[in-house]
Parts: sequence; structure tokens; C-alpha cells
Amino acid sequence: MTDLVWLVPLLPLIGFIINGLGFGKISKNTAAIIGCGSVFLSLIIVAGIFYEDLGRGGEAVQKTYFTWITAGNLSIDFSLLIDRLSIVMMLIVTGVGLLIHIYSVGYMHNDVGFGKFFAYMNLFMFSMLVLVLGANYVMLFIGWEGVGLCSYLLIGFWYKNREYTAAANKAFIMNRIGDLGFLLGLFLIFKTFGTSDFQRVFSSVQSFSSGDITITLITLFLFIGAMGKSAQIPLFTWLPDAMAGPTPVSALIHAATMVTAGIYMIARSNIMYALAPSTSEFVAVVGALTALMAGFIALTQTDIKKVLAYSTVSQLGYMFVALGLTAYSSAMFHVMTHAFFKALLFLGAGSVIHALSGEQNMRKMGGLRKHLPITFITMAIATLAIVGFPPFAGFFSKDEILTAAYSHSMFLFVILSLTSVLTVLYMFRFFFLTFFGEFRGTKYQIDHIHESPKSMTLPLLILMVLSAVGGGLGIPEALGGKHFLSEYFNHVFGGNTRIQSHEVSHFFEYGLMIISMVLIILIYQFTKQRYDKKVIGKSVEELKMSLWYKLSLNKFYVDELYDKIIVKPLNGMSNFFFNSIEKKVIDGAVNGSGQTVYFLSSMLKSLQSGNIGFYVLMMVIGIVAILFFSLINTITL
Amino acid sequence: MNVVIALTITGILNLFGSIFSYRKITPLLSIIGLTTAIVFNSMYWNTNQSFFNHMMVVDNYAVAFGTVCMVLAACLIIFYNRFMGDNDHHLPEVLSVIVLSVDGAIVMVSYTNLLMLFLGVEILSISFYILAGLKKKDLGSNEAAIKYFLMGAFSTGFLLLGITLIYGATASFDLSVISEYVKLNSTSTNYLLLSGVLLILVGLLFKVAAAPFHFWTPDVYQGAPTIITAFFATVGKIASFGAFYRLFQMCFSPIVNEWSGVIMVVAIITMFIGNITALQQKNLKRMFAYSSIAHAGYMLLALLSHDYLGGNAILFYSIAYGISSMSAFIIIHIIQTQTGTDEAMGFAGLVHKNKTLAMITAISMLSLSGIPLTAGFFGKFYLFSSAIESGYVLLVCLAVINSFIGIYYYFKPVIESYFKDSITDDVIKLKSVETILLIFLSIATILLGIFPGLVPAI
Amino acid sequence: MNTILSIVPIQYYIILSAILFSIGVMGVLTRSNAIIIFMSVEIMLNSVNLLLAAFSTYHNDAAGQIFVFFIMAVAAAEVAVGLAIIVMIYRNINTIDIYNLNKLKG
Repeated sequence: MTDLVWLVPLLPLIGFIINGLGFGKISKNTAAIIGCGSVFLSLIIVAGIFYEDLGRGGEAVQKTYFTWITAGNLSIDFSLLIDRLSIVMMLIVTGVGLLIHIYSVGYMHNDVGFGKFFAYMNLFMFSMLVLVLGANYVMLFIGWEGVGLCSYLLIGFWYKNREYTAAANKAFIMNRIGDLGFLLGLFLIFKTFGTSDFQRVFSSVQSFSSGDITITLITLFLFIGAMGKSAQIPLFTWLPDAMAGPTPVSALIHAATMVTAGIYMIARSNIMYALAPSTSEFVAVVGALTALMAGFIALTQTDIKKVLAYSTVSQLGYMFVALGLTAYSSAMFHVMTHAFFKALLFLGAGSVIHALSGEQNMRKMGGLRKHLPITFITMAIATLAIVGFPPFAGFFSKDEILTAAYSHSMFLFVILSLTSVLTVLYMFRFFFLTFFGEFRGTKYQIDHIHESPKSMTLPLLILMVLSAVGGGLGIPEALGGKHFLSEYFNHVFGGNTRIQSHEVSHFFEYGLMIISMVLIILIYQFTKQRYDKKVIGKSVEELKMSLWYKLSLNKFYVDELYDKIIVKPLNGMSNFFFNSIEKKVIDGAVNGSGQTVYFLSSMLKSLQSGNIGFYVLMMVIGIVAILFFSLINTITL
Repeated sequence: MNVVIALTITGILNLFGSIFSYRKITPLLSIIGLTTAIVFNSMYWNTNQSFFNHMMVVDNYAVAFGTVCMVLAACLIIFYNRFMGDNDHHLPEVLSVIVLSVDGAIVMVSYTNLLMLFLGVEILSISFYILAGLKKKDLGSNEAAIKYFLMGAFSTGFLLLGITLIYGATASFDLSVISEYVKLNSTSTNYLLLSGVLLILVGLLFKVAAAPFHFWTPDVYQGAPTIITAFFATVGKIASFGAFYRLFQMCFSPIVNEWSGVIMVVAIITMFIGNITALQQKNLKRMFAYSSIAHAGYMLLALLSHDYLGGNAILFYSIAYGISSMSAFIIIHIIQTQTGTDEAMGFAGLVHKNKTLAMITAISMLSLSGIPLTAGFFGKFYLFSSAIESGYVLLVCLAVINSFIGIYYYFKPVIESYFKDSITDDVIKLKSVETILLIFLSIATILLGIFPGLVPAI
Repeated sequence: MNTILSIVPIQYYIILSAILFSIGVMGVLTRSNAIIIFMSVEIMLNSVNLLLAAFSTYHNDAAGQIFVFFIMAVAAAEVAVGLAIIVMIYRNINTIDIYNLNKLKG
């Protein structure tokens, strides 16, 4: 099977070509079969590769097909690298990808652009697989740009008007800034090592000393690329806007796979990052701050998808902290569990939106557990997984990152713990607002409410199982388990001698687990009281008023206290981050730079006066300047 | 030299088209002539022959650039025929001028004597002055012609003065003698030589439309008939760069330090002016004029590379840029004849009018903006890596920033054609040969983006 | 031939040509009539011709003088095209003042 690895990206590409060329001519059923079938075949091959790799014992295999580009002494091969890192990523991409493809068959069924949608999705799968399989930075970059392109195409899938431009422009500019960093890093790699091949770069980087300035620069540039793609401060605001796309897209691209490309890239370059401690520190701090900030913002969002989007940003922050702490296998572990539960959350949200005929405002939902039983159960598991309740997947992966943070720096540990609490808060708020209480939507919606078709619920159930048991791959020793995943990754990260150990006492781990469980239960009670109401006002003001009256009537002074010391400051922080930092500082900077360029543009435009006399004058000035400076130069020399 | 002879005969035969009333077949005649010339040209591959008493040499460099120019000219003639064909009373003469100007381009990429450089530049430029003013009653076309003519003649003066000064210093127009002289005297500063080099540089910078000698470009590109603009932007620019690189790499590389600073500064200014001004253009021809200025800025980077890498890079870039610009201008032309506007809004709803055209628009824009898996990406990649190899890291950083600015405006027509609603619902119909040609150009763009090795090293 | 250069040294030719060339450039810069601008360009070209002839004598090499003939021939072609363009414009707008030709801008 390993010899067939070239088919893994090729099959979705063929699917894209058939669906793309035949759009409008192929029936919906055929398009769905081609779209899902190509991914399914890829998954089978990937599974075969996984199995063979287990037999082989994890040795990396590099398949070189042809010399792609030659320019002087620089040659870039078209080659694929199969090691355990790429295998895990392939499994996630094709596995979760297949489920989401199947889900899309139901979700997009009434859409006129059905075939086009599958064509784009297949193109995305192709690019993502090139990204994870490429054996050098150039192929990685090509996949990187490819997934970006598909992301824009799919964000704008439903938008044929002006609304689209603002969101797409923002995503566009931020990703360009990131790509700029990536490209500069790429060129610097060429200049330093004379090659972009992973294995050769990593073997020659060993001769550099720790903290070498070139390596620090390269890693920093690459991290800027990761900031753009994986939505970290300050380039994170495009991700919530990207929710304009269809929900399966949000699940596949903006939660499970594409946004983790930055994490994959850093994990791939782990040898370089471990050699650059200052960059690693920076990565960890940026990750931690992003996690905290996005967690705060998620607290007050009312759009069901926006909550999940900010939650994604926050979870990505976690992964970056792990990378910064050189806990690479923990980061990959979280990538995996996150792919399961976040894909599930998005698909569940999609199922809710589907059931409510396109409603996304959580204030107009409520009580859906009766109407959407399967969605409710799966979402419950997903919520427990993301908040880190044992024994679901998120518990183990988050626990690993938290202990790594604790062993390294108290500061990071405190921030991450705080973020965990926020995660529990906004996730339960989301959960109760959607599924509990009474339905607050329109009559039309309640009449048309329905559980989603099988093609949608089946992926939900499979992902639910994965979210529930996925953590079993990394049971900490403290619980007497065996860490399969970190052993599995030993072949990838084991060669890196600079990885710090993250050993903490078992006592601390027990303490952490117990405290987090207790906290989750407490917050569950708190949010239940707060959001599991029969009536929740429709606007923010009404909500506050009604609660206020209710609470004072019932003499719930405890609640009042809660409100004063917890809820109000939290909401305040949330609004502060959302309104001041995100809207004013970051969007302002993006728009501001755009305006500056536009201003420059009009200045330069007015220079083009249309007058030959002026043009000739400028030419003569140019000539005189060139002669003057060149000749002056020779004299002083 | 069969290529030049074939082209000249074709040009002259075309001229008689009106007199002996075979004007209807002149487009066919031109295509046949160009095809013959391309075949002759490719037969010179790897022969390295010298012609006309060492006035010209046909090395691989000349063959490659010559072929690119002729293929692009052939594409152009196919489309010229469609849009001007029936109402144009001067069809044979115009075709003759186009074919003969390709002659100039051939001379420009294969000269080994400054006299031939001058002749090549003038053959090309004088033809261009005529072509810019083709629409005699159209004020825009008039203005374009006079602007191009006056400024072109003015810049020729500088080019000639430069050649003369070099002659004064070296006593020869022959490139090999000059390069020997430069090599021997590279340590001490020779003011006569240096001034000559700088003035030739100015003359050529004007031809490739680099700032601050770019002012003619937007006005001329906008005013000239669109199909002719395509010719200026592709063949004109590629031939000029062919001449530019040949001269500076063959002769003046020993004193690179004397002129590299100028090229660097000019390249930076050119890239920024081109890209930033293009942002606010509503007229697409004007926007592409600025974009072509920006591309000239990128291509200047190749001149700075120390070895043969630069030649390969500039060739690949020329091909990528030539193909994509050609299809872009042709599409603008098609839309202009259909909707009567050459502004971006003319593209609105193109996808509903003609899916193929919309797709080709998207592909050529992606290539021009340098997105991976298109030829434009590898064009930029080669250029930038050749400059990096020569140690111009900062310059490449600026170039990369610029290419990202560029993406913004290249997407305008794509967004218009896919996401806006059209004013009219007329379907745009193309002849099958035209569709095939455009699809061929797009396939070439993609193919070169996946297998850049298809372009042979020179 | 070289006797001429022993009476009038080569530097003088260079300076004379430079002055003539500059006069041409100034003419292009200051005049607004297209024909006069064009004439100024011709002055530039002729200064180059003069210099070429001088260098040709200086180096005892005929190539420079042959180059002059080429320049003259090409300049004649340029005149033909240029005047045609100017006539075309005069027919359309009844003036050849270049300041009236600034519709294309921005």
C-alpha cells in the first residue's frame, strides 16, 4: 500500500476534475458518489499505509517521483514523505474528511451548487493531502496555498453579493501577511541549507548551536505563516468571519483540518524549533494569550457558529502552547481529539441550523433536546469532550498540555487553567441555550423542525464514538495507562534531543484531575441555573432585566453575588476583547493599512497627469539622478 | 538567417494584399509565415550559429525568446482577424506592420552588435508607434500614438548617446570586443564607459517601462486598441527584456557594482508604483498597464543575478507572463466588443455568459498574481530564488510584499465574473478556433505551473 | 584624418555634442508644439551623429560613420511615422499643442 501513496492525493484530484468539469451535467447522486468515493478510496489506502507502517516499526519512507524544479544548484523533487506524523495527519484528514463529505450529501441536498460544492471539497482534500505528504517545504507551501484558495472559494460559496467581499477581504489580507512570513522563511531556508527537503534540512540543522540567529529567524518567519493559517493573535479575526460558508466547510476546513496546518508545520519542523528557544517561548506566549482572549470572546457570542469559531481559535492556542513547550506529541494528540470533537460540534450545529431552517441565533433556539434526540446526545458527548470531562477525549489531551505547562512555567499554567474554566462556561452556555429551556423561535420553525436525515446523523454518531474513546490513545501513567500515541510518535520526535521532559508528580496530576472535575460540575450547575430557563429574553437588555427581577423576587442573593463578581466582569472582559481589541485594534490595523495603501495609490495616480511635458520632465529628473548618484559614487570610492 | 528572411517576406507579401486583392487571405498568410519562421527558429536550437558578419548570433537564448515572441504574435493575429477583420480597410498593412515588428523583436534578442540592438529597438518601436494610432478617428488612440512617439523618440536619443559613448571608450560596437574591454578595465573607473552604460540603461529602462520612465505606459496601453495593447504588453516587453538581459549579462557583468544599485532602486520604485497605483484603477486596460509595470520591476531582479540562473528565470517569467497577459488582454478585448466597456464591471456575471471565458480569466489572473500551480508562481519563484542566490534578500522581501499587493487587484475581474450579476444576459459566442486557442493558453499556464521543467534550460 | 583631431582635440567634440544634446533635451522640455519637440529630438540625434563621426576618426575605425548612416535612415523613417501621427492629430483636433492631449491620465 505504501507504494500507492501517490494515489492518496490523486484520487480527490480526479474527483475534483470529474465533478468540476461535469458540473451541471452530472446528477446529484453521481456527484456525491464521486465526491465521497474518491475520499473513501484514499482512506482505504491510508489505512493500508498505517498498517504497513506498524509492521515496519515506524521507519520513515520517502518516495521521490521526479525532479520537479531545477534552478542552478537548487533542485526540488516531487516527493512524498511517509512517516508517523504524516500518517496521523492523513488519517485525520481522510477519516474526518470522509465523514464530513457524507454529512454534506444530506446537508447540501437542496443546494443548486451541489456538484460544485463537492468539486471544491475534493480540491481541498487534494491540497490538504499534498500539504501533509509533501517531503519538502515547497510542496508544503503549495498545499498551504491550495487549502487557502479552497477556503476562500468555500467561504464565498453562498455569497454572491457584497457581504462576501468584506469577510473574504479580511481573510485574504490576514492570510497574505501569514504567507509573506512563510515565503520569507522558505527563502531563508534555501539560502541557509541550499535545499528545502525536510530530511536534509533537519540533518544539516543539527550542526547549528541552540539559539542560532538564522534558525531563530527562520522559525519566526514560519511561525508568522502559522499565525495566519491557524488564526493566532493578531491574525485570528478572519476565522469567525469565515463562518459565512456552509457548515460542513466550517467543520472540515475551519475546525478539523486546515487551521491545524500551522501546528502540523511546526511539529514537522520540531528540530528547528527546539533549536530556537526564544521562538518557542514566543509561540507558547502567543498561543496562551490567543487561547485566553478567544475564550473570553466566545462567552457572549449569540451566533451558534461564532461561539464554535472562537472556541476553535482558543483550542488552537492550546496546541501552540504545547508546541512552544516542545511537547510536540501532546500538540498532535490535541489536534486529533480536537478534530473529532470540534468536527462533531460543528456538524451538530449544522444539524440544528438545518432543523431550524437556517436559524443561527442561539437566543432563538432552546428546548431542542426533545426534537433532535440524536443531535442532542452527540452534542452532549462533544461538549463533555471539549470541556475535558473524564473519560472523554478532551480530558486526556488537555490534561497533557496543562501538565506540560505546569512543569515549564506557572504563568502559562495559570492562563491555560483560566481558559479551561472559560471553555467550560461558554460550552455549557451554548449547550443549555440550544437544547434546554423552551423553544424561543418562530411558529414556522417549530412546525418544520425535524431530525436530520441518516446521511447526517451517521457521521455524527461515528464522531461521537471517536470523541468519547479517542482519548484512550493517551492515558497518562498516573492513571496506570499507557501512552500509545507518544510511543507511536517516538519515531518522529524521538530523534529530537532538545525536547524537554514534562514530568510532574502523580500527586499533582491527581489533584489537577479532581479540581477540574469539580470545577466542571460546579460550572454545570451555575450555567444550568442561568440558562436552563423557560423564558430567556430576546435581546441582551431584556435578558439582564428579566433575570434581575426574577432573582431579586426570589431573593436569590447568591445569584446576585454571582452576577456581580463573576458574570458582569466576565461579560465585561468579553465585550472589551471583542469590541476594543478585535474590532478596533486588529481590524483597525488591517483596514488602516488598506487605507494607507489606497491613499498612496491616489497620490501616485495624480502623478500620472496625462501631460507629456511632465512625463518628460520626470524622465529627465530620473536620468540626472541616476547619472549623478552613480558618478558621485565612483568619485567617493 | 532564415527566420528574419521568412518574416520579412511575409511582411512584404502582406503589403501587396490590397493591391493584388488577396486581402482576405492575409491573416492566413501571416500565420503561415510565422509558423514557418517558428519552425526555422527551432531548427537553430543548440547550433549557436553566427550570422551577418557576427552582427547576430542564434544561440539557445535567442531561439527561446524568439519563439516566445513569434508564438504570441501568432495568437494575436488570430484574434486581430476576428475583431478588426471585416470593418478594417487596412488589414493587410496592419498585419504587415505586426509581422515586421516581430522581425525587430527577433533582432533584439539575437544581436551581437550594438548597431543591431539599435536597429532592432527601432524596428519594433516605429511599428509600435503606427499600431498605437491605428484608430485614426479615435482621440484616445491619437493621444496614445503621439505620447508613445514623442517619448519613445526622446528615449532613443539617450540610447544612442549611450551607444556612442561606449563606442568612444571601446572603439567597437561588437559585444565581444566591448566585453573584453570591460573585463580588462573593470578595476579602474572609466567615465566615458560608465556614462555610456548608464545611458543605455536609461534607454532600455524606458522600453521595459520601469519607473521613473514608465509614464507613457498607462496612457499608451489605455489609448491603443486593446488587441494592440496585448501586443505591446507581451511581445514588446519580452523582446525588450531579452535585449536588456543579453547586453548587461554579456558585456557589463564585470562592472556590475557600478549599475546594480541603479537597478535595485529602480526595481523597488517600479514594483511599488506599479502595484499601488493599479489598486485604484477602474479601467482594466489601465490596471493591466500598471500591472505590467510591476512585472517589469520583478523581472529587473533577474538582471542582478551573477550567473546563468538569471537568464533561465527571465525566460520562464517571460513565458508565464506573456501567456497570461495575452489571454487577459484578449478577454478584455472580447468583453469590450461585447459590452462596449473596458472597465472591470464589464466582467460582471461573465460566468453566466460564457463559462469557458470566466474560467480562463480566473486562471490567467491566478497566474499573473503568482498563485502556486500556475506558471506565474514558478516564474516568480525562479526570479526570486535567482536574486536570493546573488544575495539580494531585502529586495526579494519587498518583491514578495508587492506580489501580495498585486493579488488584490488581480482578483477584481475574477470576483466580478463569478460573484456579480450581469447587466445583460447576452451569451458571448466565440469561434471554435478562438476557444481552442484560449484553452490552449490556459492549459499551458497550468502545465507549466505543475511541470516547470518543460521549459528547457538555456 | 588624425590631423584634424590634433588641431581640435576629441574633448571639444564631446563637449560640443553634450551641449547640442542638452539643447535638444531642453527643447523637448520647454516646447509645447509637437513638431518643435520633434525637431528638438532630431537635434539630440544629430549631436549623437556628430559625436559618432568624431569618435570614428579618433579610433580610426569606419564603423562609427556607418552607424551614422543607419541613424539617419532610421530617423527618416521615424520622421515619416511621426509626421503622419501629427497630421492625424491635427485633422482631429485642429491643434498640435501637446498640452491639449491629456485626456488619458490617472
